Amino acid sequence: MAALTDILSGFRSVGSERLRIGDDSDAVQPFVAVDSAKLRVEVAAGVSARLVVVHEKPLASSLSFLLERGAQLEVTEVFLGEAFAEVRTVQAADSSCCLTAVQLAGANVSYRIDLDGAHAASRVGGLFLAAESEHCVMELRTAHNVPDCTSDSLMKGIAGGNAVGEFRGLVYVAPDAQRTDARQQSRNILLSETARIDAKPQLEIYADDVKCSHGATVGQMDAEAILYMRQRGLSLAQARRLQIEGFAGDVVRRCGIGELGEALMEAVARKMETM
Amino acid sequence: MLSVKNLHASVDGKEILRGIDFEVKAGEVHAIMGPNGSGKSTLASVLAGNEKFTVTEGSATFLGQDLLAMSIEDRARAGLFLGFQYPVEIPGVTMANFMKLAVNEQRKFRGQEPLSAAEFLKLMREKSAVVELDAKLTSRAVNEGFSGGEKKKNEIFQMAMLDPKLAILDETDSGLDIDALRIVATGVTKLHTPQNATVVITHYQRLLDYIVPDVVHVLYKGRIIHSGDKTLALKLEKEGYDWLINEYKE
Repeated sequence: MAALTDILSGFRSVGSERLRIGDDSDAVQPFVAVDSAKLRVEVAAGVSARLVVVHEKPLASSLSFLLERGAQLEVTEVFLGEAFAEVRTVQAADSSCCLTAVQLAGANVSYRIDLDGAHAASRVGGLFLAAESEHCVMELRTAHNVPDCTSDSLMKGIAGGNAVGEFRGLVYVAPDAQRTDARQQSRNILLSETARIDAKPQLEIYADDVKCSHGATVGQMDAEAILYMRQRGLSLAQARRLQIEGFAGDVVRRCGIGELGEALMEAVARKMETM
Repeated sequence: MLSVKNLHASVDGKEILRGIDFEVKAGEVHAIMGPNGSGKSTLASVLAGNEKFTVTEGSATFLGQDLLAMSIEDRARAGLFLGFQYPVEIPGVTMANFMKLAVNEQRKFRGQEPLSAAEFLKLMREKSAVVELDAKLTSRAVNEGFSGGEKKKNEIFQMAMLDPKLAILDETDSGLDIDALRIVATGVTKLHTPQNATVVITHYQRLLDYIVPDVVHVLYKGRIIHSGDKTLALKLEKEGYDWLINEYKE
């Protein structure tokens, strides 16, 4: 994990349980929090910030992100150990929050996103890789509490061996949250006959003028694509790896920190080799 | 180059190829024609090594090697290229990345050094021009969102990149408008040399206006029932297959 550690060591470390980001100078260099049991991050109105959260130890943690009017926050959360995390995001009007979660171990994370101000936007990308007898859980509850907000989530899972993966998604649209635009997708690949993934995207809608879509698929590797790649000279292992990288890449590359995204893709590829 | 003898193959216990014999020499172009369901695509898949099909009898030798004993990728690395009838989309994998891996894997097999990034880019530029492929497509995911014509051009682009000894083109002309057909066919012709060979599988004579075959085979119910020169294709276009099928039955 050297590449990842090197990149993170260049970021500014969050020492306390509470962080208020008050001006844009902080956006130049991302913040990084490692194994925080408790962390509350506030982003002031109109300010942009980037944060990386790393879970290495098997700890429980509780995180909250508060975005004031027009604030922008980009969070990349990486699970290297069997952590348990509860993450709450509260967004004021015109704010935008992009969350990217990558689980490289059997972790359990639950996101709750409250869109409390008009034109707040949430974008979530999640990926878990469950190997051997690991158990990965991703839960995402997005609440559209006011009109005119947007949310877009893409959650992907890969399970091999005897692993189990779970995705539970809920988009809640409050009675007066008209003109909500919510998208929720879950895509999953099973690498073995004994692996299992349960994907449950749900909608709970109490407003009538909304655009909501949701979908979930659980499938195998694409045999046709593997054949195609082998016909061009790639080995079976290379073809599988390329396909998985392609599958995982569009979630991992949602992470706005380019070099970190690349390091995560490498970590994903390394883990894939064991699956 | 390729010698196929008494080749039988089946899928799910159903025999599709029932004794195929033909021989392709370097510098030749062969066309395989025949009605729907005669086994044309199966023949292409079996030669390429698609594991869905089981070879039950016969042999196939490629450049002196037992083709049927080789894996799909080793056949490709030895210089056999299959242009797919339905090119597959691979989301998230860019053409450039895919081709770089494929080209270097094949070079490694032949004991050559991998191409540098600059050499590879130069090769891609050169070869995309052969089929007038929009250079932007090489930075997109493999075949994803490509039009029908672009997918087929992309097959010939990959053929140009990999420079195979034997190219089997499975209905590369299907679903192409006349301009795309001309570009694809011209591309194939440009790539043809006295050292390589091409087998085109097609329904229609029109492709053969551009790619002039040395031999035309007619496949029917898993057997080559007739072989002739390029005039055979013209006759088939005019008269259909019935006269041959009737002759075959008698």
